[in-house]
Amino acid sequence: MAFLDNSGDIILDAVLTDTGRRRLARGDGTFKVAKFALGDDEINYRLFNAAHLSGSAYYDLEILQTPVLESFTDPESQMHHRLMSLSRNDILYLPIVELFENSDLGSVRDSTTNAFLVAVDSDTETAVGTTAGVIWGENVSSVSSTTIVTDQGTDTNNSPSRTHALSADLVETQYQIEVDNRFGSIYNRSGRRGRVSFVNEAQMASYYFSVGSNPRYVSNITSTEETDSSIDGPRGTRLQFRIGASLELNGSNTLFTRLGGTSTVGSTNVRHIDTIVRVTGVTTGYSIDIPVRFIKKI
Amino acid sequence: MATTFKSLGSDDVTTTRTLLHESIPVTGSIVSGTYGGVATALGSEPHIKTYSHGMFQSVYDYPYLSSSANHLFDITLGYTSNSALSGAANTQNSKKLNVYNQMAQVLMGYDETGKVRKFDEDGDVVSGGTKIKECYFLNFSRLITKDEIKKGSFELELSVSGGFAQAGANLGVRELFTDRIKITDFSGSDGYFVNSPAGEYGVLFATGSAGVNVTAAAKYYPVGLLFYQAGVAVLSGSIFNDAADSGILNNAAGSGTCKMRTGTVGVTGFNTTTGSTVSQMADALRNRIYNLQFNNTTELNSTIYFCRANNTEFNYSANPTYLSTSNGPSEIVVKDGDAGTDPASYITSVGLYSPDNELLAVAKVSEPLKKDPSNELTLRVRLDY
Repeated sequence: MAFLDNSGDIILDAVLTDTGRRRLARGDGTFKVAKFALGDDEINYRLFNAAHLSGSAYYDLEILQTPVLESFTDPESQMHHRLMSLSRNDILYLPIVELFENSDLGSVRDSTTNAFLVAVDSDTETAVGTTAGVIWGENVSSVSSTTIVTDQGTDTNNSPSRTHALSADLVETQYQIEVDNRFGSIYNRSGRRGRVSFVNEAQMASYYFSVGSNPRYVSNITSTEETDSSIDGPRGTRLQFRIGASLELNGSNTLFTRLGGTSTVGSTNVRHIDTIVRVTGVTTGYSIDIPVRFIKKI
Repeated sequence: MATTFKSLGSDDVTTTRTLLHESIPVTGSIVSGTYGGVATALGSEPHIKTYSHGMFQSVYDYPYLSSSANHLFDITLGYTSNSALSGAANTQNSKKLNVYNQMAQVLMGYDETGKVRKFDEDGDVVSGGTKIKECYFLNFSRLITKDEIKKGSFELELSVSGGFAQAGANLGVRELFTDRIKITDFSGSDGYFVNSPAGEYGVLFATGSAGVNVTAAAKYYPVGLLFYQAGVAVLSGSIFNDAADSGILNNAAGSGTCKMRTGTVGVTGFNTTTGSTVSQMADALRNRIYNLQFNNTTELNSTIYFCRANNTEFNYSANPTYLSTSNGPSEIVVKDGDAGTDPASYITSVGLYSPDNELLAVAKVSEPLKKDPSNELTLRVRLDY
């Protein structure tokens, strides 16, 4: 008589994140676990070896041997990549989120740093504002300002082709943008500030924008022209936004001194702080980290 | 519709309580003898903290001025006003009365007339019986008792040899421990009292553990009380007195009743307290501790979240490496170009989220768990409080 296989029921000890502890300490009922997600941050799926000579049981041998790191308390450093539920098993292509850099849209990065530059005050805007890749952080609605644009869809080298509609269950309908709240905020092209959903322990502010509810941020990609999107295949939605500088960066050099350095943009000497803005598809879980440099003329 | 979150229903959450026990061994050499060296007199060791008020003495496991030191317990003593040892001319008489009354009012409470109850030898407060009128108190730190002392696990072994080794050039020489008694709460695991305002308590019993005819009779003597949640041991002074002095020791054993201090004090055993300070009596007890051990208990309250991944759920991943770069950056690697192949993903972590998608807790698995449409998993994620 063999033992029963009990591998389907596994006990895991969870670690509260800083956010969880803060909410628990607050005692106002905001500590409420309502849902869960599964993550696979440590996994490198490219270790999957479908050509293994010993057969399919060995295809994922290296993946299964991946050592798993302990959990820790920083909510920003974990669960970057979530597992996804789809009712169909016959999907070969999954949608991704890509930067769409296009000079007509004014969404090209700075070619030197490969980052978007945010000019935090009008002096800096005047000095370097017409350089490609510079977002106007004080006068956000300026027509000269660069806009960050991301496109979503299945990038398949046009096979299936761009003329195919992306399956409805793969279209991203809501995006989360995370930005360091000490440095800046999210704005639309018209210069209107987005509504912050919450700011966590690490000062990361989260914004949520949805199709229909926030048409200035999220829209469907209708064009099938190759040059109209970075997605070379069935297309989903487009997110576009700008970044406004915080008053702290606009009026003070303190954070630049503590967290940044100095560099030049063209011939202008600037202070700078490098950071990341993360865009995540709430439905599909796919995320992209966008490099952003806040600059201030010296 | 693709989704990465799954809501937890009321059937997916439950609470449990777990008791965690730790073994706390305190060898006698830590209590006296390890620190200070042979030239250091009792009470001057660097891990012993005394206070100007002289009401108690604190014992650390390391010189207490170091940040590495942990507080183990405090030692004090007292007696009632109707004890034969009480007398206005005695050393620190009022402090010993105050200590007894303070401990009694907290641990034993008050009777129906508002008087402080005395410590009862057998715990049967209603029937009266013998009271503990003179006693040592060992107040254990919460650091080592945690939520409570585990019932039935307490052991304290004391020397009751007659002589006093520390004198002259032998300042740091510890007690010889030839005659010893062992004090346990062996009845505590199945019999304890709940009539104290400070929680549950059991009776401590003493019997001889080394030497010949150490106690007056070969039996278990009730010699004190152990308050489990409060973490206080009350030790009757009778443990150091012989039967002729209302104690438990054999009149003929060794060289007579325990000598508690150096020099000529005139009396021996616990009676030494009449001419001794609390600190001196605490030193005397420490010098006679051979071994002290118990298990503590920590109560863990846990919430368990059953995270159920059904066969059609969580089979895809948003991990960037999940997609290949060979035929456009969107093709799933594990399908190897065949849409008919089942998808698969590998779980390494479980995130618990608030309704507004804030990550509140994270659990990790020890090795990646494969998830595909042919299996279902239930991950029990436990959050301890």
